[in-house]
Amino acid sequence: MLRFIARRLLETIPVLLIIITATFFMIRFVPGGPFTAEKAVTPEILRNLEAHYGLNKPLYRQYLDYLGSLLHGDLGPSFKYPNRTVNEIIGDKLPVSLELGFISLAVALVLGLTLGVLAAIKRNTWIDYVCSSAAMIGICVPTFVLGPLLVLTFAIHFGWVNASGWYTPIDRVLPCLTLGCVYAAYVARLTRGGMLEVLNQDYIRTARAKGASETRVIFRHALRGGLLPVVSFLGPAIAGILTGSFVIETIFQIPGLGREFVNSAFNRDYTLVLGTVILYATLIIGLNLVVDVVQVWLNPKLKFE
Amino acid sequence: MCGWKSEPSGNVGRGRRPRLSERWSLLPSTRWIAQTFQTSVLRASRSTLAAFAFLTALLAGCSRQESSAPPPPPPQHILRISQRNEPADLDPATASLPDELFIIRALSEGLVTPAPDNGAPEPAAAESWEVSADGLTYTFHLRSNAQWSNGAPVTAADFVASYRRVLTPATAAPKAPLFFMVKNARAFATGQLNDFSAVGFWAPSPLTLVVTLERPMPQFLRYVASGPWIPVNPRIVTALGRHWTRPGNFVGNGAFTLEEWRPQQRIVVRKNPSYHAADHIHLDEIQFIAFDSGDTEERAFRSGQLDITMAIPFAKLETYWTERPDEAHRAPLAETRYLTFNTLRAPLNDIRVRRALSLALDRARLAEKVVRAGQEPAFRMVPPVLRGADDHDSHLLGGGEENIATARELLAAAGFPNGRGFPRLELSGWTIGPPVTEAIQEMWKKELGIDVKLLTREAKVHVAALRAGLYDIGFITAIPDVPDAINLLDDFTTGSPGNYPHWSDARYDELMAAAAQAPEAAEQAARLRDAEARLLEQCPVAPLYFNTTNWLMRANVQGWHQDAFWTRFYHDVYLDE
Repeated sequence: MLRFIARRLLETIPVLLIIITATFFMIRFVPGGPFTAEKAVTPEILRNLEAHYGLNKPLYRQYLDYLGSLLHGDLGPSFKYPNRTVNEIIGDKLPVSLELGFISLAVALVLGLTLGVLAAIKRNTWIDYVCSSAAMIGICVPTFVLGPLLVLTFAIHFGWVNASGWYTPIDRVLPCLTLGCVYAAYVARLTRGGMLEVLNQDYIRTARAKGASETRVIFRHALRGGLLPVVSFLGPAIAGILTGSFVIETIFQIPGLGREFVNSAFNRDYTLVLGTVILYATLIIGLNLVVDVVQVWLNPKLKFE
Repeated sequence: MCGWKSEPSGNVGRGRRPRLSERWSLLPSTRWIAQTFQTSVLRASRSTLAAFAFLTALLAGCSRQESSAPPPPPPQHILRISQRNEPADLDPATASLPDELFIIRALSEGLVTPAPDNGAPEPAAAESWEVSADGLTYTFHLRSNAQWSNGAPVTAADFVASYRRVLTPATAAPKAPLFFMVKNARAFATGQLNDFSAVGFWAPSPLTLVVTLERPMPQFLRYVASGPWIPVNPRIVTALGRHWTRPGNFVGNGAFTLEEWRPQQRIVVRKNPSYHAADHIHLDEIQFIAFDSGDTEERAFRSGQLDITMAIPFAKLETYWTERPDEAHRAPLAETRYLTFNTLRAPLNDIRVRRALSLALDRARLAEKVVRAGQEPAFRMVPPVLRGADDHDSHLLGGGEENIATARELLAAAGFPNGRGFPRLELSGWTIGPPVTEAIQEMWKKELGIDVKLLTREAKVHVAALRAGLYDIGFITAIPDVPDAINLLDDFTTGSPGNYPHWSDARYDELMAAAAQAPEAAEQAARLRDAEARLLEQCPVAPLYFNTTNWLMRANVQGWHQDAFWTRFYHDVYLDE
């Protein structure tokens, strides 16, 4: 297993290098630069600005300089926010995104697994129909509809929570619920499907025949196999939930990395775009590795190779 | 042209929901979640309840660090304003957006400050000034009681050092050209001159600052009132480098001090008791709360988290103006939205085609039915607030029914009778709420029989395309850096970086040069009017409407002023109980 992990980690180096190089040059070739504004900057001032940020050097030189500072873990200064470095911005925003992501993931798992398991063991009863319908609605309703709906109800109508912000514990409730519900819907459907398949297997019948209690059958024997589809889904889902929360962050004005990522592209903040891309690429590669390892652990039929 | 004043409203005592305490303790929040959950999903299964209990515990665990620090006792008068663009920095030397100046002007002040009624600038750090007879030398007298927020006196040498910093090429100040009327300032900023003592700033005594200009400039004080002329404390900047604008480090000479800056969340400033006009400051604290989305901002206003928004979402403008008129507010802006014709491309290099396209626009309908936020149709390029004192003409460009006939004639003369044979040009814009380009497309189709293709681009891509001349017809906006019509009209002189039509006209250049040379305001205004008339006659651009700003404000906010140039005035603002 260690060899497997080591090999996979080694493979990430060229992948990351390709991602960095492609991003570096793509963002440079996008029309408009960090200093483009409706009110044009005069050429002499533009020269000062470009010299200040090292943009007057040849592009290959800037690329090599960037790789050099990257080796020291330095993601460079931000073009848009001159008093902060990219390292500082990511250090500031990543914990917020992680908190939002992990709480939402917990919501998704708790709600999704509960609904999915309930639906599977009470198959074709009203409980199943309620759970399955709820999951279907969750998949169909996008976050930018669910979020404002929750805000209208709980913040504006009842006045129980703030409509936006990320200051107090209570501020976490609506965004995490919104983001969690969407993923919970997928988890519920996958769990139900996985469980139904497993519950028909011979070894479950064997367990029942040997007199195991229903709880034991479900949680000890069925769940482990029934969760496999969920685990495969979780790798990309975690990456998505951590990186793709731009919409939620905008609806609830959360100072997370997703918003920073999108805004940095609009601002042509070259270093910040690169910094966030590198971070997200690393996250996605790492999470996929974790999922592969967990799948082998859950499913004895699979092997490391 | 008068600035907007907040109208006292009779509906002051409207009950407001108590604001959620920011020190919400751990236990009640947990209990609250559980209660809400129990009432709303009473019949849910036990396992779901257990699941929710787990989530609640997790929530509480994650937020423990937030509630541990005991905050200071809450001040009495807190104004909460929406901040729609995160400031890049709070350094006056590098600030380029009004959004940054909203906050910088609360923290520091320049020699003079804009007047709330868009009139002549008023004393600020300087209590008086004299102008020499030849109009070349301005002598500013600083207040003897002015202090930096660290207690040090504000001196003329601080101003000289601040201006030196703005003009130093390595600072890369984007708005350094706002100093270029000062003797030798341009040469220093472009690296042609290394000796700053040759630049026209001189501090003969700690409270006297002398500024020498290249040539007389009637609107000079309006430049002095602009953002980049706001001083910094040179000792602090030298000692702390790029960290000087952070809370705890920031030293300003303004009415408030910087208390908190959580990027993309909020910036908090608190009243500076040592400010020389502290008597006029009734607010204890201003919170600038970040919002990226207008809808999020509007929901925060409705839930009672905000006192003043930056805008009203386009889709909700009418609802607010009819149903909550005491909370909806509007002010004109010195901003002209216009069409630029790429004069390098055929058939737009033909003045008849450009004029026909411009004359066929129904600007009144565009303002009233399409953009619908109180905008004034523009038959001139210069907005009313920037025109000379005795220039009362709203039309330098024809308007009305009869122009359609002229437009058709012109188009026919250019070889396109009834639009036949007219190439399919592209009309590009950037994403804004109202369907302006769609309306224009329809007007041209109906009146001239020509068909244009629409293209919406991301803002920077759009501006870059206009600058590179890679477009046919572009929808764009003109916002002057300072309240001076020259700043706006200069964009259309030959070779100017803001000359999006890529238009070159020797007559216009001459008229603009003559206006810049005019030593006296009335004469300058007359010259500028001539230049503007020439611009509109040659029609490289077609003004559409003068923009407005619309915002929501609680009825208890009193004394709020903002001018047509996005300057907000925090003096004398108070909250009715």
